[in-house]
Amino acid sequence: MRKVLGMVLLLAGTSTFAIGGIGVAPEIGAGSAGSAVALLAGTLLVIRGRRRK
Amino acid sequence: MQLLSQPRTQTQLVPRHAFGLLPRLIALAILFAAEALTISVWLDNSALSSRSGLAGFVGLGGAWTVRGVIGFAAIFLTFAYLKSRDGFARISDRAQQVPLNRGFLVAHFGAMAAFGALSWALYGNRSSATSADWFVILWLAAGASGIVFGAFSFIPLVLWVRLVRETGWLGVYALVAVVSACAVGRYSEALWMPTAHLTFSLVKVLLRPFVAGIVTQPATLTLGTAKFMVEIAPSCSGLEGVGLILGFGIMWLCLFRRECRFPQALILLPAGVTAIFLLNAVRLAVLILIGIAGAPQVAMGGFHSQAGWIGFNAVALGFSVAARRVPWLSATEQPAGRADDGPTSNPTAAYLAPFLCILAAGILTRAASSDFEWLYPLRFVAAAVALWLLRKRYVDLDWRFGWFGPAIGIVVFAMWIVADRFLNRGLSDALPRALMDASPSLRVTWIAFRVLSATVTVPIAEELAFRAFLLRRLISPDFETLPLRTFTWLGLGISSIAFGLLHGNMWFAALLGGVLYAWAMIRRGRIGDAVVAHATTNALLACYVLMFRTWHLWS
Repeated sequence: MRKVLGMVLLLAGTSTFAIGGIGVAPEIGAGSAGSAVALLAGTLLVIRGRRRK
Repeated sequence: MQLLSQPRTQTQLVPRHAFGLLPRLIALAILFAAEALTISVWLDNSALSSRSGLAGFVGLGGAWTVRGVIGFAAIFLTFAYLKSRDGFARISDRAQQVPLNRGFLVAHFGAMAAFGALSWALYGNRSSATSADWFVILWLAAGASGIVFGAFSFIPLVLWVRLVRETGWLGVYALVAVVSACAVGRYSEALWMPTAHLTFSLVKVLLRPFVAGIVTQPATLTLGTAKFMVEIAPSCSGLEGVGLILGFGIMWLCLFRRECRFPQALILLPAGVTAIFLLNAVRLAVLILIGIAGAPQVAMGGFHSQAGWIGFNAVALGFSVAARRVPWLSATEQPAGRADDGPTSNPTAAYLAPFLCILAAGILTRAASSDFEWLYPLRFVAAAVALWLLRKRYVDLDWRFGWFGPAIGIVVFAMWIVADRFLNRGLSDALPRALMDASPSLRVTWIAFRVLSATVTVPIAEELAFRAFLLRRLISPDFETLPLRTFTWLGLGISSIAFGLLHGNMWFAALLGGVLYAWAMIRRGRIGDAVVAHATTNALLACYVLMFRTWHLWS
């Protein structure tokens, strides 16, 4: 859990560097970064959340 | 309410001041963020970039410096916590014996007031005195003093020194990582043009089986048909996605190295880079096909900005699934036959699925939209279906609520409106053109789904995800066994920050809202209070939008 969160935090940071200063029609839209990274993080948590009963 | 923290070992004769290292760092981050937000509203770096001397240097490099500082703090504190938890706990215990330093706090506010006044003169006044190097040095000194005084008011110098010592070379590594990221971000622009030419050729090959009479202009990287043509801009060459997938892949292989079989797992990096680069070419080809098919506004609107993230998420998930499930790449023992392993459960899925459905539906509906999101009702439907299918998983949660929930909702609503007045002054409040031109029944239906979504599915899904799940999951993997009254400062901070980051430029108001919704839940241990608080805020916002025609609040 902490690893996934740490990774997502760093990924969010990386994305700000990657998309910083780009024009209005980017390959990776800055406006959608929050929901896209949250979707990825949530899906990763679900994938790793399965456990034996 | 039940606050969990590290076990105590010292004598209780030492006076304690309740706040350990983590709440102090969170409070410091909130203070700095609020001040940075306040100042950034009226400081425009482009006002300095045309000037000479130190002022021009600040104008050109200021934004990168701020990004670097934030990146450094994020990397340093994340890895300090992950790698030096014992040292963190020792410093935290020591911090509890030291009160906040009011003298430094007063000095901080004094320095920030001076910084604000000097900023007003530097950014607004174009006289030669304010452009002089000595004036810029004075301005920088005031800002740096404000940061230092603020840091020392919450955490004494001796504890900062201990934090640096406990983390060894981490500070240097974080600095190298941030400087490298800034350098790569800045100098990778030289690779854009050659990569854009490669992407141009790939898109041409992909389109050939589907489109007759392709028109290409290699000199301007323009291609399509006489009906619809696009220019492949250098920033669309595919390098952004490549950078992100490289970052994701390297982090995954480092953090989950014990689960990966090396050196075989390293092949995932070139595979991921190749996949994301090809997907970018596919994205551009599909964009042109959508434009040719008669929907140029969808192609250049929602699809253009969303398809890149859809591709990135697909490759990143493929990367992580392959690293875990492909026996040749994974070091963990693979089950021989899943059917024989006995039943499995996934409580995480029950709490996150409705929220993830809203996010996934939102990305897809935006991708299929032009300038107005007609398909917004699908977000409501997706969340409602997920909640209905999982309804039996939520029966153990306490859904009752009292007066406190609506009261918190009203406070957050008031805070939101104040923040909006402050941050979104220039935004248009006009009813979207598409909605205005629609038939009355269609308009009412769309608005009804928008209100239903804001007041029913979104509050339930977000409170399940951020408060009932994340807040407790940060305490224990068996989070369902913990009562809803349980919390830690770490969980409260991270869940509220994550909630804030999903709300664009209103992130700070949302962060505070997240803290208040958590308080509503923790106070009596009832998720119903948090849901009702959230629903009250959104319902009041919906009334405000509809009564005062402030449509930008729904944009």
